[in-house]
Amino acid sequence: MTKLLKIYLKKIGYLIFFIFFVSSIAFPFFWQLINSFKTQRDLFSVPPTFWPQTWTLQNYIQAFTRQPFLLYIKNSFVIALMSTLIAIIVGSLASYSISRTKIKFKKIYLVILLSITLLPPITIVNPIYMLMRSLNLLNTYLGLAIVNIIFALPLAVWFLSSFFDTIPEELEESALIDGATIFQAFYKIILPLVAPGIFTVSILVFIAAWNQYLFAQILNPLKVRRTITVGITLYQTDYTVPWGTISAASIIVTVPLIILVLILQKKIISGLLEGGVKG
Amino acid sequence: MKIRAKEKMGYLFLIPSLILIAVLVLYPVFETIRLSFFNYRIQTMALGETFIGLDNFKNIISDSEFLTSLKFTLIFTVTAVSLETIIGIFFALIMNQKIPGQGIIRTAVLVPWAIPTIISGLMWKFMYSQQYGVINYILKTLKIITKNLPWLSNAQLAVVATIIADVWKTTPYMSLLILSGLQTIPAQMYEAAAIDGATKIQRFIHITIPLIKPVLSVAILFRTLATFRIYALISVLTSGGPANATQSLSLYTIKTYFNYGNLGYGAALATVTFIISLIISMFFLGSLKRKLQR
Repeated sequence: MTKLLKIYLKKIGYLIFFIFFVSSIAFPFFWQLINSFKTQRDLFSVPPTFWPQTWTLQNYIQAFTRQPFLLYIKNSFVIALMSTLIAIIVGSLASYSISRTKIKFKKIYLVILLSITLLPPITIVNPIYMLMRSLNLLNTYLGLAIVNIIFALPLAVWFLSSFFDTIPEELEESALIDGATIFQAFYKIILPLVAPGIFTVSILVFIAAWNQYLFAQILNPLKVRRTITVGITLYQTDYTVPWGTISAASIIVTVPLIILVLILQKKIISGLLEGGVKG
Repeated sequence: MKIRAKEKMGYLFLIPSLILIAVLVLYPVFETIRLSFFNYRIQTMALGETFIGLDNFKNIISDSEFLTSLKFTLIFTVTAVSLETIIGIFFALIMNQKIPGQGIIRTAVLVPWAIPTIISGLMWKFMYSQQYGVINYILKTLKIITKNLPWLSNAQLAVVATIIADVWKTTPYMSLLILSGLQTIPAQMYEAAAIDGATKIQRFIHITIPLIKPVLSVAILFRTLATFRIYALISVLTSGGPANATQSLSLYTIKTYFNYGNLGYGAALATVTFIISLIISMFFLGSLKRKLQR
């Protein structure tokens, strides 16, 4: 009898813990979601109302009319896509030579890569700004994308080269014997086999580039090439902070990312673990 | 023949990334260090750079705004990373269990990670609002406080507020890293210890902690350095205020560069940040070496 009671208590305890755990993590997001459908009156009522008295889509319309939000989305998307593409190309080339060839200075190369992840961006921001200015790359897609690639490179090489390691040497050798050049063997035999790894890295690089703020703010201040992360902070003026509009804009930016995470949860977790700190 | 050609290819394949690293990492680092020995301002750009030796660094030591921001950054980093590590271990232990709803837990944990830092800053800013904020409302309903707290306009509270927002955002990532360490521990070790009569707490201290230590120390290093350079979150949440109480080193450096136009002094600040990061990395040299053994 007491044993049964104990089991039940344990189950209830777990349930309470579970609800508390999940809701405290997800609460800020849900609060933002609810807020995005509230009218100005509900948003600024004292005390706050949880459920909107009247639901409205006005905030979503405002998000697009107060600022060229669609343009920001496009800019962020183009820059993130460019960063991902170039990072994958440069990264998989480097990973191949780290994993498959017996070159010297491998260690030094890896040390340099590792030190990029340890380097504060603040240390390089001004010279990069000056450099981009003299190359006329301020307020361009390419300029910001190149900077994103730098920060993506360590993760890409780390993750991809461990992927290259898993592919048997013989596959490549037989292709070479059949008369393929090394470059052909690389992109016809090896690359398709590491495609799953490339996919995982692409997601991570894309999300990181999409979330870039410091360099986006410094390198692309002009409206025509402004990214979402910078644009979303500019709804507020000195006089008003339109929280409803900001909430709606945040939801528009965040929901695609959350959906991506839901679908690709397993891949993202494995990618984070592999590129992060595997000992 | 082919082997030598392959080796050649290996060097060739490294060239693109090496060029990028040289131009966008190595050159900028050296340029920042060089400029830190010069007086160079945007307002007087026509005069060019004048060499002033260590004067910038001498000024930094007596610069109260720098000292405030260094103090804040250090307190912020130590507190946030400690909390993250403790909560992260706790989360990871839960995620390592065979329990119902595991999928939901793991997905929920990824939500703060996927939200852009800027947006999480905006979310928390409204939640912290003194009059309309939900945090004061919840605390009042639970009878923890009687009056609305000025979360972002009181110096001490603002520090607490930024730490909470950062911990919320980054703990999930930390817990995933720790989880990867936990998953390498064979279940037999726990079973053997249980047979020998070890309690749960003993097993945690004598098996779990030593075995996840390598993963943990690298995770702590990465989180420490990332927290030390905090910029985006604070920039939207408090913009460094009130009265510079939450101004991080990065924020101060950006301000010096791009608002004050003092490029020489900014470079010196950036160099100091760089040196402190190096020192932090030194503490973890052992675990970094392990990471390089591939």
